Amino acid sequence: MTVIHPNMADENAKIRARDVCVFYGDKKAIDHVSIDISPNYVTAFIGPSGCGKSTFLRCFNRMNDTIGAAKVTGLIELDGEDIHGSRMDVVQLRARVGMVFQKPNPFPKSIYENIAYGPKIHGLAEKKADLDIVVERSLTRAGLWDEVKDRLEDSGTALSGGQQQRLCIARAIAVDPEVILMDEPASALDPIATAKIEELIDELSGRYAIVIVTHSMQQAARVSQRTAFFHLGKMVEYGPTSEIFTNPIEERTKDYITGRYG
Amino acid sequence: MSSSVLPRADDAGAHPLGPTRTPAFEARLAKRYRAERNFRLVGMSAVIFSVAVLVFLLGNMLINGIAGFQRAEMEVTIDFPASGVSGDAVSLTAPSAMQTLEMQGLPDVILFFAESQVGKDAAEQISSDAWRDVAAALADDPDLITRSATFRLPTSSALASGLQGEGAPEMQALAQKLANEGKLARNWDWGFLSRSDATSPQAVGIWGALKGSMLTMLVTLVLAFPIGVLSALYLEEYAPRNRWTDIIEVSISNLAAVPSIIFGLLGLAVFLALFPGLRSAPLIGGMTLALMTMPVIVISGRNAIKAVPPSIRDGALAIGASPVQVVFHHVLPLALPGMLTGTIIGMARALGETAPLLLIGMRIFVATPPEGFASPATVLPMQIFLWSDEIDRGFVERTSAAIIVLLVFLLTMNGLAIYLRNKFEKRW
Repeated sequence: MTVIHPNMADENAKIRARDVCVFYGDKKAIDHVSIDISPNYVTAFIGPSGCGKSTFLRCFNRMNDTIGAAKVTGLIELDGEDIHGSRMDVVQLRARVGMVFQKPNPFPKSIYENIAYGPKIHGLAEKKADLDIVVERSLTRAGLWDEVKDRLEDSGTALSGGQQQRLCIARAIAVDPEVILMDEPASALDPIATAKIEELIDELSGRYAIVIVTHSMQQAARVSQRTAFFHLGKMVEYGPTSEIFTNPIEERTKDYITGRYG
Repeated sequence: MSSSVLPRADDAGAHPLGPTRTPAFEARLAKRYRAERNFRLVGMSAVIFSVAVLVFLLGNMLINGIAGFQRAEMEVTIDFPASGVSGDAVSLTAPSAMQTLEMQGLPDVILFFAESQVGKDAAEQISSDAWRDVAAALADDPDLITRSATFRLPTSSALASGLQGEGAPEMQALAQKLANEGKLARNWDWGFLSRSDATSPQAVGIWGALKGSMLTMLVTLVLAFPIGVLSALYLEEYAPRNRWTDIIEVSISNLAAVPSIIFGLLGLAVFLALFPGLRSAPLIGGMTLALMTMPVIVISGRNAIKAVPPSIRDGALAIGASPVQVVFHHVLPLALPGMLTGTIIGMARALGETAPLLLIGMRIFVATPPEGFASPATVLPMQIFLWSDEIDRGFVERTSAAIIVLLVFLLTMNGLAIYLRNKFEKRW
């Protein structure tokens, strides 16, 4: 049973999921989850380990396709268009729905190449001058430009962990996506780097719809406006972040946010 | 959560561990350190032993092989204006120069001058093919025909052995006498690197076999590398995991373990049946060795691809790269160093391979270097095998010299591959 707070249905939802189930072989990892993700908000998925929140996130850009045993059923729409439909190409979908992973994964190429790669393969910028602009703009938005502008030819893997993660965020926004999915983007980082990432999420939130999976309830409370609580593959409760943390309806949500389990 | 409390260290009775600051603990500690020292010692002796074996092998080869790069040569001065042999810049460099000079009696001229300078016995020991060296020198510098010139001519193997204090006593005495007169000496024989096989150890060279090996290796590389790399990429990145791919995987592993002579039989039965005119050709040899090398490249290539972190693939996919772009922009560049390592191992094995080539007719006497991929050729290990079979004492040193050439070729090949690997290597 899912409790959805009032006024969470959104006519202009960026992503609309209906009765989504994900199976790994025989195991049901996600059980009939329906949700509307609004643009201009940061939506946080919280829940104990193994509750399926990352699996659900990976449905939105069809990253589960790369796992042979995974099967996704139900309807997921991006701007009203079925992402599994014949008119939606997976490459195009991923250009529109960017993703940042738990562990920073810059390409073992130069910082410049890391950012320019997306625009290049999609043919969004052909000329070197255009690429230069895209690289500078993306790195600036990711708050990394001042730190790396003098060493764009250095390898992306030579940066610190926090810088690498911001590089990955810059890489994701370089193709100007509509949605950015973040799968525990700060869990491998120290508190200072985490604070920078959270600040960055705040700055990016007006421009992109952001969905973030996090283990840290404080982080969800700090950066998000909408929170969904997952438990054992089901979405238990979905509502405004302030409501979820101060006034949860479901007993299980209350137990989780007060630290009873997780 | 609060119901179960861990026993605290100062709870007497609830603490099953012994104390650490006791003589018994220190004795155990000393034992652990001793075990580590012993292990280090054993490991070090293993390394020292293998290095010693290698040094002995290389040293032995080098000492024997250096003599193989030398040959006994007799000094003969020929006064061309007085010899009756004539020619000019055009006729001496013409393709027919050899015949012209032979018809003008160049062999006899050499014999005549040698008899007058070193005596009849010694002159008879000049190699009967020595005049070809003189003709080649004339072709290089036609101006020589207008004056008197000194040549160092190869001798018979009997005299060469004599110079080393072996063989018939009268030859030893003659060699000693000539050496004292300064007419006979062992000289560096650079021609060894540019001539081909011959019947006399004094006249042999390695170039024919070396060129044969190069051509064969080129065919092997051109066939095995792309096929191996593409198979590895397909199997690792695209092929579904099912019974068929399992069977293919097992077959490839088995193929890598098949004794090489079986591949020779396969080459004989398939390639020579298809191209009967190409017996002994580097093309067929290379194809046969490619069959043998390919599984090694596939296996090492797959391991190299497996070692590419999945997070790199995820990162590229998530930004919208197509599977082909993921493979060629990210996976292949990162896996290439590992693939090159596998290729080195496979190619080194192919270079030293003799058995499969025996069966496709590369065990032949090749007096001229192969002109192309379709002409009869032999390869370095085969040449070593052929020479080691010869009775003549002179071939022993030539065999060692050929082994050195093979090892240098191998080292060059490996060095190049290691250079390429380091060049492409990236850390992540």
